[in-house]
Amino acid sequence: MAQAESAGRSWRKPRAPREPRSGGLRRLAALLANYQSGGLLIALLVMGAIFTSMSKNFLTHRNLTVILLQVSIVGLVAIPQAMLVLSGYVDLSVGSVAVLAVAMFGQMARVDHHSLALSIAIALAVGAGWGLMNGVLISYLEFSPIIVTLGGFAGARGVAETITHDVTQFGFGDKFAYLGNGTILSVPVPAVIFLGFFVVGAYIWYEMPLGRHMMSIGADKIAARSRGVSTKLIPCVLYVFSGIAAAAGGLILTSELDGASPSIGIGLELQVLTAVLLGGVAFAGGRGSLWGVLFGILFIGVLNNGLILLNIGPYVVNLAVGAVLVAAAGADAFYQRLERIPVAAAEPVAAEPEAST
Amino acid sequence: MNEQPVVLAVEGITKRFGAVTALNDVSLELRAGEVLGLIGDNGAGKSTMVGVMSGALRPDEGTVSVDGVERSFANPAEARAVGIETVFQNLALVPTLNIAENVFLRREQYGPGMLGKTFHRMHKSAMRREVREGFERFGVTLPPVRTKVSALSGGQRQAVAITRAVLWGSHIVIMDEPAAALGVKQTELVLSLVERLKAHGVAIVFISHNMQHVLRVADRIAVFRLGRKVADIDVHDQTTGAHLVGLMTGAA
Repeated sequence: MAQAESAGRSWRKPRAPREPRSGGLRRLAALLANYQSGGLLIALLVMGAIFTSMSKNFLTHRNLTVILLQVSIVGLVAIPQAMLVLSGYVDLSVGSVAVLAVAMFGQMARVDHHSLALSIAIALAVGAGWGLMNGVLISYLEFSPIIVTLGGFAGARGVAETITHDVTQFGFGDKFAYLGNGTILSVPVPAVIFLGFFVVGAYIWYEMPLGRHMMSIGADKIAARSRGVSTKLIPCVLYVFSGIAAAAGGLILTSELDGASPSIGIGLELQVLTAVLLGGVAFAGGRGSLWGVLFGILFIGVLNNGLILLNIGPYVVNLAVGAVLVAAAGADAFYQRLERIPVAAAEPVAAEPEAST
Repeated sequence: MNEQPVVLAVEGITKRFGAVTALNDVSLELRAGEVLGLIGDNGAGKSTMVGVMSGALRPDEGTVSVDGVERSFANPAEARAVGIETVFQNLALVPTLNIAENVFLRREQYGPGMLGKTFHRMHKSAMRREVREGFERFGVTLPPVRTKVSALSGGQRQAVAITRAVLWGSHIVIMDEPAAALGVKQTELVLSLVERLKAHGVAIVFISHNMQHVLRVADRIAVFRLGRKVADIDVHDQTTGAHLVGLMTGAA
């Protein structure tokens, strides 16, 4: 956890500026920029406190476990998606790739009676393959990311329907059921997988050069390329991971339901994108924090859960998520505007005596 | 006057674009710790010369030698590898990364131990320290190294880009209009940096339309007109802007 710990420094505690800064607005903008995801964390905690005071069923081990379980599939798929959006790309095909992988899995395991391990491997490979196709078309051939993955959104589900003929396969056995329903140290297996992915993702994002490279591609691809950043390979690989994560998410859901349902993954892409954008990753790319994405995922999960505990209908949940997303966009626009204000005073010319000429 | 070794020598460069001869048998020499001003009207061949020296263009005739070794560059990265870096007007800085992150983009240092070696964990504090020390060495005063480039002024960005080139071992820096579109204070930031780099033995090619800037920092000035070098003047001989303009336009 040491990596995750240090990776979180940016929001955890205020740090003393090394050199005096000037300009109150500048300082405020920097503060907001640094603590953008911190603001979301505070909102999350406040919301948790409200739910705790209103329902004694909220802050229980069982309920927190349920929340973690509910967010883990969206969360898993959101990690590569966040990296794609950071790099200036997007993957709208994740829900359909999930159902395609699940359809292949159902076909392999139940109809053709292959082993569980092989079926899982093929399902993940289908996700990786679709991701690779996205990556090659978008990154190397420079097709529009939105159009290609929108095509995948329709196409992959179409392929899945062709495989399944709308029939749900079930009865995959206890071993497979463990994937979605088991626990490790009383934490659900899907949540363990999600948190594991998050730790690895945060390490890449904050501790490895790759995180900066993704950000540089999203912010200014030409500048990034001129410095030698792999502006084609990185997004391509991210699409592959997005496909694998989608397939893994589909398999986990199949295990939870014990059914390879053709309706798996409907709406997944928008839930994932909502979490990523709520977490403060700029849709245009170049800015964002993975911690923010984690808080965005948890925020939506807690909101859903709390409103249901309070017996407030699902329509209100959707309305609330929508409102929060728009509010986040407003906060982002506000701090962007502040950051653009130039500060002339922060520009002392070197007073050092000249070396001899 | 300058007894330093010649670091960059281009000889007999000719470059044609179709029927147009952009450069016609041009030779230049640059010594360590020297600032060579490159001036000329639009279309005089300055940009073509920059392209040839920076590896972006291949000359039809002539040779480019760096530190006495003849070189042929397929692209700017190859020129950079032997120590020539061109700071273009678009600067190649990523606005959402901070100063230190930009300086070390694609040259990140890894931390000690297994995490660094095997899992490529960056040594962020060491990189920040190195950037801070680098700026100090060249007397550049900038906001803290964690400041995002998007919050910097044009002159500060120039200073970051130029210092980055030198920190990465370039001993020949080509600056294409480094002070264009900058305010007085920011121009001062850039020009004083040029002077300090010179004192550190960096060889600089300085391209500008602004005669005052060139006269202030350059030791020698090469005047281009219609693809030829029409003059190569030592600035210390009471050179005036009017004289240079005359050479540029062909009136002198």
